[in-house]
Amino acid sequence: MRKTLTMLRRQPLGAAGGVIVLVLIAVAVLAPRLAPHGPKEATFAPYLAPSAEFPMGTDQLGRDVLSRVIWGARLSLYVGLVSVLFGITAGSLWGAVTAYLGGAADTGSQRVVDSVMALPPIILALALMAALGQSVNNVIIALVVLLTPTAARTVRSIALGIIASPYMESARAVGASNRRIIARHLIPNCMAGYIVLVTTNVSYAIVVEASLSFIGAGAPPDEPSWGGMLTAGIQAIETAPWMIFFPGVAISLAVFGLNLFGDSIRDVTDPRLRGGLG
Amino acid sequence: MTISKTFPILAGLALIVALAAPAAQAQDKPRSGGILTWFDYGDPGRLDVHAESPLVVQQATAGVYSGVLHYDPADPSKVVGDLAERWTVSPDGKTYTFHLRKGVKWHDGEPFSAADVKASFDRILNPEFQSPKCGASLKPMVAGVEMLDANTVQFKLKFPAAPFLPSLASAWCRVAAKHILAKYGDLNQPEAQIGTGPFKFKKYERGSVIEWEKNPNYFIPGLPYLDGVKQFILVGGPTQVAAAKAGKIMLWDAWPPMRKTQADELARARQDVDIYQASINTIFLIYLNSKKPPFDNPDLRRAVNLAIDRQELVAKALEGAGVPCGILDPKLSGEFALPLEEVNKVPGCRQPKDQDIAEAKKLVEKHHPNGVDIEVAVRSVGNYVDRAQLVIAQLRKVGIRGTLKTHESAAGYAAWGKGDFTLIATQDRAMDINDPSGVFHIAYTTEGGSNYGRMSDPKVDELAERALKESNKDKRKQAYWELQRYILTRGDTATVAVAWVEGWFFKDKKLQGYKPGLTTYDNNTFMKVWLSQ
Repeated sequence: MRKTLTMLRRQPLGAAGGVIVLVLIAVAVLAPRLAPHGPKEATFAPYLAPSAEFPMGTDQLGRDVLSRVIWGARLSLYVGLVSVLFGITAGSLWGAVTAYLGGAADTGSQRVVDSVMALPPIILALALMAALGQSVNNVIIALVVLLTPTAARTVRSIALGIIASPYMESARAVGASNRRIIARHLIPNCMAGYIVLVTTNVSYAIVVEASLSFIGAGAPPDEPSWGGMLTAGIQAIETAPWMIFFPGVAISLAVFGLNLFGDSIRDVTDPRLRGGLG
Repeated sequence: MTISKTFPILAGLALIVALAAPAAQAQDKPRSGGILTWFDYGDPGRLDVHAESPLVVQQATAGVYSGVLHYDPADPSKVVGDLAERWTVSPDGKTYTFHLRKGVKWHDGEPFSAADVKASFDRILNPEFQSPKCGASLKPMVAGVEMLDANTVQFKLKFPAAPFLPSLASAWCRVAAKHILAKYGDLNQPEAQIGTGPFKFKKYERGSVIEWEKNPNYFIPGLPYLDGVKQFILVGGPTQVAAAKAGKIMLWDAWPPMRKTQADELARARQDVDIYQASINTIFLIYLNSKKPPFDNPDLRRAVNLAIDRQELVAKALEGAGVPCGILDPKLSGEFALPLEEVNKVPGCRQPKDQDIAEAKKLVEKHHPNGVDIEVAVRSVGNYVDRAQLVIAQLRKVGIRGTLKTHESAAGYAAWGKGDFTLIATQDRAMDINDPSGVFHIAYTTEGGSNYGRMSDPKVDELAERALKESNKDKRKQAYWELQRYILTRGDTATVAVAWVEGWFFKDKKLQGYKPGLTTYDNNTFMKVWLSQ
């Protein structure tokens, strides 16, 4: 408890980020209970300004913007977490294993990473979406393809440092198998980096999903995606500015909170800073 | 006041009047020069006006070609000669002889003759050749085309058909050069755009711009007034409205119309434009694939016909600018349209919707107790995606759960043509001519060029054919009323008429001599248009 309070004092921004993340998770999980109306329910008059009945107004089809923003949190978090979990996990394993194996496996895999990372991420994602078709799960696949090489590159560099350490040498000297060394020594020691990658990339994934949906290549238009809501909003930016304002605020808050939280986690897991936390 | 005192004042006034008069006249007198700018809603890609059907293809090539006939640019309700100077009709009404202009030259300098007219219409009327616009309207009527001499051509009809002249005057029935057809095989490439029209095809930058330049050898001396026309390819409402607000385009008079909110934005941004609400002779349709489950089942088709709330779609998706329910719009088709009071009592169109929704739900439950999942297809153009979301929301109320699948414009048309869809949530179909026959022969008869649902009903075919051939106006009206009543009461058609689309358009105040056509395709050659500044 004392340690947590100390941490909160040392990392007030991280704590604020954590609170935002917690609220985001709560909103996403409780969306069916919190949203006053169905996200696709188009039963009201279009372009109603924010009022007591519709705190965020209604959109061009007469849907409650508040309900769509709430359901949008679920979609954003789902896309963000699932893509990051798969992408960063796969990339981390790839980076750690190839770093350990070294030689042609490492060089070859790094050239693959180079070639994927050479492409601008949004262009690569767009091409993938064009090939796969518009759906929420395809957005996740596109994000996994984007995130895997980044994670592979980062975790490889961490793994190279670990591989050179004396305890790895000892493990090899006592005759531990490669599988055992990777599973018991290498991967656990890469976990700090892995956690930081996960926390910092959720916000990135949310922004990419919103960007893809904004340009009409992400989630299908009827799904309550914050990016898709922005697209609908710009069509009526003068008539119904609330259509673009509230999803915009939601994206900003979510990304802000996740970044603060991610930065804080990085600081906490960084041995140089952790020492100071004592 | 003495004469000596009043004289200088009178003389001054006379001078002012004398100087002002020519200025006022100059405002009315067409002046040459200037470039007109407007836009295409998408990239046409292919340019063969005989073989394609998207509006952008017609727009891209409109001023390049001439027709045998066309709608008078000064009075778009009148059919007048274009390449034809005059024509005669045989007493039985089955033979039309057109006397063509002499001395007309193609843009490449080759002389024009009746052989070009014959080559063009032989191509369009060839049963093996897919001509979804001109061919689709002329094939049922025209038996063949003969060249009598270098300047005379004869059309022989299968029966005396009232819509023949309006159909021939359609902006899709353009005359192409025989030597160009022989050289290129089709009219798809920019190099093949050799016409006799007021403008020459100058440039086509894919996805960016199409340009025409003045044809100095146009067969009407003094025309066109403009030096050229520039059509920007602007995809998506926000881009189009931004271009309009920034003054980049002078005219918005084609599909998709502006929505009310967009027109209001434009009115706030520009005072140098006239904004007006108008019909564009276009019907908003929903298609059900009658050859594939679940809509091969008439009960499921009936459920959709009942569930669709046309009034809500007009109120929300068209922002009130449309005429819901009618298969024919009384504003456009006059007495041929079934009165809307009658139409609005038919199941599917009646309000409130409760009874229709309850019946539709029962029909769905009878075959799919747990509801049914379908893919709802739509082209990503105009506000189709918004409309599709409303359609999905309406169908969900009766147990039909739709997942939206969007197509790029050309890919969508390709999928519809192959029958590769379950339900098309929205597809506007512009009429090729302002005649009641249009919509039935396009979207309802077995051979209809846009009968994407592929439903075949011999009674619809028979009634449509009878109405088409009828030359007595009262009997023709009765035939069309019978046809409309039959389709509406049958209630399980694969083509669902949602509404006749209206919308907001604008014209720059300096644009003179422009009158909108009765269809979205007509009167866009700009042959008599000029700029006052």
